[in-house]
Amino acid sequence: MKSVASVSKKEVKKQSLSLCGKKVKIIMKKIFAIAWKDAIVRFTSPSELLFFIILPIVFTFLLAGGTPSNDDDNRIRIPVVDESQTAVSQQIIDELENSTAVRPEVVTRAEAQSQFDDRRADAVFIIPAGVDIEALQNGSAQVEMLQQPSNLNAGIAQRAILTAIRRVSSSVSAAQNAVRQREAKQAFASDAEKQAYFESSLTLAQDIQADAPERVTVIEGTTPDRVNYDPRANSSAGQLITWVFIPLFGISALFASERQGGTLRRLLTTPTTKATFLLGTISGQVAMALIQMFLLVGFAILAMKLNWGRDPLALFVILLASALAAAAFGATLGTFIKTEAQASGVSIMFGMVMALMGGCWYPLELFPTAIQSAVKVLPTTWAMQGMLDLVLRGGGLVDVLPEAGVLLVFAAIFLSVGVSRFRYE
Amino acid sequence: MPNILESQNLVKTYGDFTAVKGITFDIKEGEIFSLLGPNGAGKTTTISMLSTLYAPTSGDATIGGYSVTKDPMAVKRVIGVVPQDLALYEDLTAKENLVFWGQMYGLGGKSLTSRVDEVLEQIGLTDKAKNRVKTYSGGMKRRVNIGVGLLHKPRLLFMDEPTVGIDPQSRRAILDTVKDLNKQGMTVLYTTHYMEEAAELSNRVGIIDHGELIALGTQDELTKQVGETETLILHIGENEDPETLAKALSGVEGVQKADVTDHEVSVITADAKDILAAVVGKANERGIKIRSIDIREPNLEAVFLHLTGRALRDT
Ligand SMILES: Nc1ncnc2c1ncn2[C@@H]1O[C@H](COP(=O)(O)OP(=O)(O)OP(=O)(O)O)[C@@H](O)[C@H]1O
Ligand SMILES: [Mg+2]
Repeated sequence: MKSVASVSKKEVKKQSLSLCGKKVKIIMKKIFAIAWKDAIVRFTSPSELLFFIILPIVFTFLLAGGTPSNDDDNRIRIPVVDESQTAVSQQIIDELENSTAVRPEVVTRAEAQSQFDDRRADAVFIIPAGVDIEALQNGSAQVEMLQQPSNLNAGIAQRAILTAIRRVSSSVSAAQNAVRQREAKQAFASDAEKQAYFESSLTLAQDIQADAPERVTVIEGTTPDRVNYDPRANSSAGQLITWVFIPLFGISALFASERQGGTLRRLLTTPTTKATFLLGTISGQVAMALIQMFLLVGFAILAMKLNWGRDPLALFVILLASALAAAAFGATLGTFIKTEAQASGVSIMFGMVMALMGGCWYPLELFPTAIQSAVKVLPTTWAMQGMLDLVLRGGGLVDVLPEAGVLLVFAAIFLSVGVSRFRYE
Repeated sequence: MPNILESQNLVKTYGDFTAVKGITFDIKEGEIFSLLGPNGAGKTTTISMLSTLYAPTSGDATIGGYSVTKDPMAVKRVIGVVPQDLALYEDLTAKENLVFWGQMYGLGGKSLTSRVDEVLEQIGLTDKAKNRVKTYSGGMKRRVNIGVGLLHKPRLLFMDEPTVGIDPQSRRAILDTVKDLNKQGMTVLYTTHYMEEAAELSNRVGIIDHGELIALGTQDELTKQVGETETLILHIGENEDPETLAKALSGVEGVQKADVTDHEVSVITADAKDILAAVVGKANERGIKIRSIDIREPNLEAVFLHLTGRALRDT
């Protein structure tokens, strides 16, 4: 008897389990149906492809500075005029050549001026006659720089040039120090010997600088010229965020159109819950965002040779977290805005402002410090930093986890606000 | 026949305005029941409560034995809803719309495909199934709107003014569809402010005004309330004042009631031919030109007029 009872109990459990499984299956099907319907609605007009993939690619490309040059050197090109023709000026140029940010190109003054006037050069660096070791030593050395007004690249070039000069002058002063110390102990036999000693000391100082990467990194870490910036990586990540976040914010417009069109009301007279509707709508847009992001990342990898793909899991995590945060923000926005037209206008505006403030268009490092901390309240900031961890700074999963975590917190907050405030009227 | 719907004292208030003031009625399995009432009477609000969209402020209703307040999910499976305002995705084709809504009713696979084809046939849009809804005429959109409500073969179909704003031909087609559906065994709750539609379709009619059900019964039962009366409709010139005429006629012997409706004057009387001469005389006396006169047998319009003192259409 006992065993019979327990069997039937099990049976009941099994039945209710399979019933539950069936329910879940039906709900999953509905979620998929809603997402699919939204995809058809979105892509009925072919112009959507323009916003989905074509414009993002064009903008990424343009803001990256066009075609990468043939030698794959994407540093900022700086015409350099060397009128000193001294060892020091050559050293400065050599230092610039080693920089990751700029690529010096020695030209005549006339040529440099004309490139600058035609705006073909963001900045021009001029080393006038008389920049030599003595001048450097007694502080009378002066260099000139021409900059296009409010030009980002010019700012970066300026910092790179300052660093180069600092490095040269620091090796020069190290060498001179060595000469003086030697002289104090034992005078040089001749000027030639003194000069030779100076030069070997200088070489040694330079070698030490070059061979001591750690020390160099530490020193440079605090100098502003190491703006972590690569126009191509920044453009790729920044444009991706801009063009993906705007349609995700557009979930607000989707909600409004379902409310205004009466379809949401009709949906709620069918055996479909509000939760299913929200899940279907949001997951559909997130799925489309992921596809869009993979296409853009694919473009960046193939056509721009950017290294997005070194850690696919990290890439997926940061992309998904970004999409969820943006989608949840769109859902919240949708509960504050009544009409579809308003909602799409506001989505575009928020998308643009957040992209700008989040450092998607200009590196955050160029913002005043106060603003740099203030914009931490924006999901775009975290998305951008997370993506730069990967594509610019060469990080992996561990490096993107903090940003992904913050983005998921954004997603959770916005989603709960959006769901609790959601109305069908 | 058992009742498929039983509504008990349904009330809906919006803020301090009560749109539905305690509506009680039943619908029998297999009948077409019409809610007839003017704009703003509370028809849509009532249907919204019955279709579980709004929770009633008080009262309850059972549909197919399930309470709309306690078991709305079960109710949703019994009912089909054709909303007054089109509720379709205009960017999708008729077929895509039907497939989507079928999925929302839990249909899928082959049974959905064949059901969609059946419904397209029924609403006469098989040929245009692959065109986007936004390219359709008003009448075609209305038909798709109805088709969506039929997909899961509901036992009870709510149709909220499905013929508003369309051409006579499409209206005819829709009325015929309703009758067909009913013949196939579907129970229908139909709302309208057209007396003729209620008269043609329904087994029973509820007359609703200002959120109250003011009369309920078969057409015969309702018209009997008016008594053995006839209605004279006087159409007057555009520049004439109907109020003056109505007032003048109120005093005429044999006139039970004279009211202004639109730009017409309705006169209720026991026998139209007895007062005809007096009515025309009175108009002449006031210098009001009558362009034509209709004589109507007792109908739902007259019932409404009798009960409210207003015409159905102009309120
Ligand atoms: N959401 C709402 N908020 C406030 N008042 C409302 C709301 N919805 C309806 N009403 C009011 O309730 C009353 C009944 O409206 P309802 O739409 O039910 O009428 P109806 O009989 O369907 O009219 P119609 O023939 O114009 O469709 C109207 O006075 C309307 O203004
Ligand atoms: Mg209505």
